[in-house]
Amino acid sequence: MSLKIEKELDELVTAKVITPAVQEEIRRYYARDKEAQPNKLFAIFGVLGSLLTGLGIILILAHNWDDFTRATKTIWAFIPLVVGQLLAAYALLKKKTNAWKETAAVFLFFAIGSSIALVSQIYNIPGEMSSFLLTWIILAVPLVYLLKSHAAALLHTLFVTIYACNVGYFNDVSPYLYVVLLGLMVPYYWTQVKSKPEDNLTGIFNWLFPLSLLISLGAFMQGGDNIGFVTYICLFGLFYNIGKLPFFANQKMRKNGYLILGSLGTVITLIIASFEFVWDEYQYFMTSTNDLVITSVLGVAALGVIGYLIAKKQLKVFSLFQYSFIVFAGIYTLIQMGGEIPMVLTNLLVLALGIFAVEMGARKNLFSILNYGLLIITALIACRFFDTNISFVIRGLLFVAIGAGFFGANYFMYKKQQRQLKNTTHE
Amino acid sequence: MNKTYLIIGFIVMIAAQWFVPGQMIVQQERVLTEGTAYKFKTMPIDPSDPLRGKYIYLNFEMQNAFTKDSTISYGADLYVYLKNDADGFAKATEASKVKLKIDQDYIKVKANSFYQDTINFSVPFTTFYMEESKAYPAEALVRQANRDSILNNCYGLVFIKDDRAVLDDVMINDQPIKEYVAAHLKENTEQ
Repeated sequence: MSLKIEKELDELVTAKVITPAVQEEIRRYYARDKEAQPNKLFAIFGVLGSLLTGLGIILILAHNWDDFTRATKTIWAFIPLVVGQLLAAYALLKKKTNAWKETAAVFLFFAIGSSIALVSQIYNIPGEMSSFLLTWIILAVPLVYLLKSHAAALLHTLFVTIYACNVGYFNDVSPYLYVVLLGLMVPYYWTQVKSKPEDNLTGIFNWLFPLSLLISLGAFMQGGDNIGFVTYICLFGLFYNIGKLPFFANQKMRKNGYLILGSLGTVITLIIASFEFVWDEYQYFMTSTNDLVITSVLGVAALGVIGYLIAKKQLKVFSLFQYSFIVFAGIYTLIQMGGEIPMVLTNLLVLALGIFAVEMGARKNLFSILNYGLLIITALIACRFFDTNISFVIRGLLFVAIGAGFFGANYFMYKKQQRQLKNTTHE
Repeated sequence: MNKTYLIIGFIVMIAAQWFVPGQMIVQQERVLTEGTAYKFKTMPIDPSDPLRGKYIYLNFEMQNAFTKDSTISYGADLYVYLKNDADGFAKATEASKVKLKIDQDYIKVKANSFYQDTINFSVPFTTFYMEESKAYPAEALVRQANRDSILNNCYGLVFIKDDRAVLDDVMINDQPIKEYVAAHLKENTEQ
């Protein structure tokens, strides 16, 4: 138990708010909670240790010790692998704690990489980094399920993202294998979500999965036009709606990566799309079929999630953020009438999102959402200063107005909360 | 998970983790022991790989071969047939999309551009790993030696058997590159 809570408890007993018996009960509760802590810490340090050792071994071997004979180097290629496998076998067969399994899994993960890298080095085997990563990832997948290792699952997700970037960015190849490789983690993630929804680790994956998809999406796109804006807005729409699913919506906000990424992503992408140059540079004939298909798949998936929410009667309160991808897709189709109309409508959409967030913040009594809305409006106004010829006086007045808005809205909310607090105390 | 399945799964995983590097070794060793050695004239450049270490990238002289097939597209797999020239260096005789029934060794390459009965291609064995302190000096020394015209030859010694080619060593004036670099580095420190 932290020193702060300890102090608070003493104060509460002195003020006779709680009895010493209750104080003792609370102390015992925290002590029981702490019993699980050493194992967790041991696991974290074990994983960190293995991570550093594994990476260190890879770097030491990458030195390429050319004084050694080919046979000696080959033996060295297998030593980390054997050590890792023995550790894993010991942890598995002796049913050791999770800390053991995590440590062994991480060490073995890097040992696999180092052994393939060293054999490639010894025999000067040519090959792209992507094929090397692919072999490594596939050979390490069983660690997640056999050793039930969370760290191996994290490494897998990280490495498949690196793989997708390596294959897809700066060339025309789409890394479709990435989808399969990430899919291999779905059973693990699903079990984690079902059995330990409140766990911090599940929270980490709630961020890692959408982040991996967000980073890798560009690797699938062929580019050359601005349909990419619709693609990303659809992806963020999908994230936001997934974040609204009952399971995620009931979580603490910081564990709902889907919702935060979806919301922030939508706003940032729309603000970029609110600039005139985005619509000026549009070239209709350059839209590739590949990009259209990806956009459609993401859009349909987002609509599917909305459909599910409607079927489960989860859409009681209207939220513009949930539907903004549909609105933007609609705006995008107007491009054939010229760039001006879509640009103005995008600006209006961002403004509407800002106002909606302010209203939602005021309604829910949440400073964070209220200020988020005000920030959206401020960002929009600040951006418009770059591509419009408004006089300095008007720009200044607008900023003063928005500053006053910030102050006024927060003050209004503060007063409202004070009033509510007073009412509760009186009751 | 059932313990038997767990153990079987674990054994399969270990076997796969041994099989992949093991099979890589067996394939390369077979070419080195049973294959025919060819000398490919080359020039090294020094890049780096974050995981596998420093290597010299080999820029081979042999990049073109004769072919009548104008349908070969960019990136297509090609068979390039080899023989030794009068100086004992590998020379491409002809290229084809399919294997030819001739008694000559070949290498598998990727096609680049086609122009007037000649196909330009990239050979696959362009990577030669070196100790990190020697990769850059190797490139610099070869460049210097070439400029001073004291370089008689710089070539990759490649063993070839069936579809596989293994780069065994890079030689400078018939001396392995790492010995050549080590000797020059030692000479420089003594001066």
